Amino acid sequence: MGKVIVVTSGKGGVGKTTSTANLGTALALLGKTVVLVDADVGLRNLDIVLGLESRIVYTSMDVIDKQCELSKALVRDRRVDGLTLLAASQKNNKDDIQPAQMKAICDKLRSTHDFVLVDSPAGIERGFSNASAGADEAIVVTTPDVSAIRDADRIIGLLQHARIEPINLVLNRFSPELVGNGSMIDQEDVIDILNIDLLGIVPEDTGVITSTNRGIPLVYEEGSEGGQAYMRIARRITGQQIPIPAFDQKGLFTSIMNWFTRKG
Amino acid sequence: MNRPLSGTTVQIDVKGPTLEEDELAYLRSKLKESYNLTVRGIMVSDEPTPEPIAAAPTTHIIPQAVNSSDSRESEPSRIIPYTIRSGQTEDFPQGSLIIYGDVNSGAEVVAGGDIVILGALRGNAHAGMNGRLSSVIIAMDLVPLQLQIGNYLNRLPIDQKSRGYPEIARIGTEDVIIVEKFVKF
Repeated sequence: MGKVIVVTSGKGGVGKTTSTANLGTALALLGKTVVLVDADVGLRNLDIVLGLESRIVYTSMDVIDKQCELSKALVRDRRVDGLTLLAASQKNNKDDIQPAQMKAICDKLRSTHDFVLVDSPAGIERGFSNASAGADEAIVVTTPDVSAIRDADRIIGLLQHARIEPINLVLNRFSPELVGNGSMIDQEDVIDILNIDLLGIVPEDTGVITSTNRGIPLVYEEGSEGGQAYMRIARRITGQQIPIPAFDQKGLFTSIMNWFTRKG
Repeated sequence: MNRPLSGTTVQIDVKGPTLEEDELAYLRSKLKESYNLTVRGIMVSDEPTPEPIAAAPTTHIIPQAVNSSDSRESEPSRIIPYTIRSGQTEDFPQGSLIIYGDVNSGAEVVAGGDIVILGALRGNAHAGMNGRLSSVIIAMDLVPLQLQIGNYLNRLPIDQKSRGYPEIARIGTEDVIIVEKFVKF
């Protein structure tokens, strides 16, 4: 029996789809069977980020309308074993799907896969309730800025209300330089406000842009900082104990100083 | 149970609504049973309650009925044992709110009396919503977006930077909300 994890954020543009594609690929590279479900009906993107846009024939809408079998709608990613995508319909909108229908799909996929990752659309309306309907756990993606954090806080409240637990945090587009000169909120403050467990930090990586355009997730790229961060997060999802490295521009000395002041 | 008056005799004076004979008997037995008090006598004073003034000359001010929730002692309070997140509101018009958590940016707490936050206040808080201007807002970290006490709104933006000690917001002598370090009530 697999786990259904919804990847969500509230605010748009913080990296939900990028995180879903990279974590799904990373989990498959670790030998897990993974299905990625795009819940962004009408504004689908996950297929592009994965480079699978030319191979989509059926969508979750066709499965709901009983136009095809669920297994037939899953598009296999040929680069890695065990990774498939269930695309969203581009011509429908979010109100055409009911939360119960999404839950039924997730429940069916759970029985045949280790992980079902649901890529949630931005917002707190129907799209979000569809995406979270079948979820056991949640990953909330946020960037270290006040508006993304406030929206993440709102989403965490809704997830708690829906009794989805645990809720883990991925801090995306983290820039040690900006934190170093005091113009970005540091990780401790983000965790202090949101008060949930930190699953990982993904540093700002301009490679994301080329990766998205080429349809090759960062985790395939050796030496990509973002890719390595997603790989570590995937290992943590599988239960491995991997420490979160300190992204510190100021060097080892300040790390030690911080360590002392935090203890004291 | 601590019963310092055990064994003594007492006299009961009853004013206002008259008690029935069996109610007095119940009171007598209850006092004996629970506190070992012997009731020596019951004095019932049948003062007629003054009639409310139906109409008064315009030169007189009609005394307002004392509202029971006007003082801190008599009002109830409610404990909220969790953090209030963006988009969530908690209101308690009957009395004071005590929050075992934070009030995050985008969240709102409204109370008839005081608001005590054993965490950070980052959102909006409105104390004394029924007009009790002696209401206060206390937070371990008072960094709100907006404060309101009664119908007073904070005029100067409060520094969003944490000061690292608890603070209290109340209406000062110059009719503005003042924020200062919280030492004792």
